[in-house]
Amino acid sequence: MITKKVSKKDIRKLLTAWNQECNVIVPSRVDGVVGMAAWDNQDISFLDWYRNTVIPPKSCFLPKSEVMMSFKKNENGLKLEVPTGEHWQVIFGVRPCDARANAIIDHVFAVTYDDYYYISKRRNTLLVGLSCTNPYDSCFCTSSNIDPTESEYVDLMFTDIGDDFVIEDFTGGGKALLNMSNTVKKVTRADIDKAKEVKAAAVGQVKKTVDMEDVDRKLRSLFNDRDYWERISAKCISCGICTFLCPTCFCFDINDEMIRKEGARYRGWDSCSFRSYTKMPMENPREEKWRRVRQRVCHKFEFFPMNLGINACVGCGRCIRLCPVNWDITQVIAGLPVEAGVKSGK
Amino acid sequence: MKPKKDDQPRIVGFLCKWCSYAGADLAGTSRKKYPSNLTVLKVPCSGRIDPLFVLKGLRLGFDGILVSGCHPGDCHYQTGNYRARRRIALTKKFLEYMGVPEQRVQASWVSASEGTKFAQVVEDVVESVRAIGPSNLFNDEGK
Amino acid sequence: MEKELRDQAAKLLEEGTVDFIVGFAAGTLKHTTTPLITGDKDATSSLVINPFISNNLATYALEISGRLGIVAKGCDSRSIVSLIQDKQITRQDIVILGIPCSGLIDLKKVEKLSGKERDEIDDIAVVEDKVVITIGSEKREVTAATVLFDHCLGCELQIPQEYDFLIQGPANEIRDNEASREKIQELKQMFPDQRWAYWKQQFSRCIRCYACRQVCPACFCERCFVEESQPRWVSPVSLWQDNLIFQAVRAIHVAGRCTDCGECERVCPVDIPLRSLSKEMYDLVGEMFDYKTGMNAGAPPLMTAYELTEVESLIR
Repeated sequence: MITKKVSKKDIRKLLTAWNQECNVIVPSRVDGVVGMAAWDNQDISFLDWYRNTVIPPKSCFLPKSEVMMSFKKNENGLKLEVPTGEHWQVIFGVRPCDARANAIIDHVFAVTYDDYYYISKRRNTLLVGLSCTNPYDSCFCTSSNIDPTESEYVDLMFTDIGDDFVIEDFTGGGKALLNMSNTVKKVTRADIDKAKEVKAAAVGQVKKTVDMEDVDRKLRSLFNDRDYWERISAKCISCGICTFLCPTCFCFDINDEMIRKEGARYRGWDSCSFRSYTKMPMENPREEKWRRVRQRVCHKFEFFPMNLGINACVGCGRCIRLCPVNWDITQVIAGLPVEAGVKSGK
Repeated sequence: MKPKKDDQPRIVGFLCKWCSYAGADLAGTSRKKYPSNLTVLKVPCSGRIDPLFVLKGLRLGFDGILVSGCHPGDCHYQTGNYRARRRIALTKKFLEYMGVPEQRVQASWVSASEGTKFAQVVEDVVESVRAIGPSNLFNDEGK
Repeated sequence: MEKELRDQAAKLLEEGTVDFIVGFAAGTLKHTTTPLITGDKDATSSLVINPFISNNLATYALEISGRLGIVAKGCDSRSIVSLIQDKQITRQDIVILGIPCSGLIDLKKVEKLSGKERDEIDDIAVVEDKVVITIGSEKREVTAATVLFDHCLGCELQIPQEYDFLIQGPANEIRDNEASREKIQELKQMFPDQRWAYWKQQFSRCIRCYACRQVCPACFCERCFVEESQPRWVSPVSLWQDNLIFQAVRAIHVAGRCTDCGECERVCPVDIPLRSLSKEMYDLVGEMFDYKTGMNAGAPPLMTAYELTEVESLIR
């Protein structure tokens, strides 16, 4: 429910108030690349140009590399140190697609299993969403049943209605954030109506659509169709861009690094697109590219729904936007052959 | 590499088995005095050197890398050192462009009978590296 | 040009001269193209030639078996020749469909110039030596040299030398060798430790997606050194030190194989200026050994060749 608003003129004051209590993370351009970085207490120009980041907010909880424990050899033996929990942080500008993706990854790291490293960051993070009113031509969230202004998975949702942002607050954390500043005002009837208009219009802005109906069944029937997968995967170059930039991908690898007498155990991103991902001493079950591409598509659209009842693609479109060869998942899904009498068995 | 207990420069030397390593041996048996800052790694031929060795050495914290092989024309495997020469030249120049001081990557031709030269090369290399100080190329901030 | 290419490609498939055609088709996003790999002669009607055909299709020669008809711009044809020199592919297995190239448009430059992002721009059209950028009702004309890729501004082969068929068409010469090396010159003005600090900062962003390596035809190793675990040369963790070592060694490993096609820099998702490394290596190779990649299929590869006396001044 929309209950409050804040004027764009007061955003700096609001962020400053939050900055007293927690680290504020905002969209920023570092060397031209749009990402999330600590706010510099000054610049709010991102409100003008921000659409979405290259690296999704998952990197705040599952970074491209993090220390799991560090070790140092000294006279007494080995000293081990485990990083402690993070300071409170607020991430401002999370899009609904990424918010939904966070919830999906939460399932893996914080519901079925308690991942210390993930939870120590996630638990201390508040998400402030920003309704998406200027999607890319690669965005297709609506096809994943996501409204570009939905507020389910954030602590606060801001929607731009011109001079102000209206705010929907949900969680206790969200309410606490609003109470930190007197720049947050009550919303008027007119504001709510304007917000409704903006939200309705936002849905129409998402131009790319694809029918996701029955995708899992169609994929199941294609599993053994090697010709199909070889055709589909032909132009893929097996880099890791789609997996690393996907907000719901979470594969990781663990490596120990040591130089002289000190080092650390790191967790970092890994990709099922890499040829060596499944390489083992005796064999590599996914040596061929078509197997890896099949795995990627089926994991997102068949296995995840099968095992957890959720479609793991949120339609953020990063994989399409940044793929070196413009491999387009929506094109693949739209082109899935529907055979007469689709077999629904395994 | 063991942690440093002093501030002497640490150099790793990749010496080819047939010429430079033998030359180093000769320097030893002739009781030539030369600095002990060199850690020697024997390779079958200077052509075995991959730029990886150079960068790995710098990553591990060595202050300088020395590659030494047979004189051109005298390679035990005929052409190994010619290939090494091209590789080393590109490696040196490219790393210099990236910002690695040129003294950190050095190369020499030392034959099996050149014990004196070997001692002199080590002396020169160690002093040139000492002059530019320890390598903090791959250190993180505050280390 | 497109009609001639499509007809030729269809003919090659029809006559069974090739098993697959590898070319470009329109992409699913504005102002993009995508590789088209097909054995179906009807699909050749989708082949396009336009200023956005940036992929270097020579990479596909390494993984697709059978006889291939590859659409190649000048730089791509050099990559194919280089692969033949390295004996990674045989000349008889490739039918080179050469196309003359007037330069490709760098979308990042267009975005910077217009202040709008790629999908907010309605049209980008080349008219002789000018480029017209249309946003809504606003048309803006700029000289082509301001929006072509840096590597196109320094192009050394607009029309393939080695080919089986050469599609007829214009190859407007739009050059700016200085602009092409501007970033490198800026770096060379800095002191060494400033340069190192610059690369340290750039490589802190690297996520080790390996897109740079995967798009590169010069990177054809079955097993890359980063995947080696015994010994472990480089950590797979994306620490800046290991990211930097990966790129430095990669640049040296592809010396004499790199044709400055610019793909590595284009595909990097975090905008690391990789061409400032690969172009410098390209120039070093030219200066030190008077060698240009892929100009002569019969020549020995750079790193296996040698002169009896060369670069002696660098050795004690």
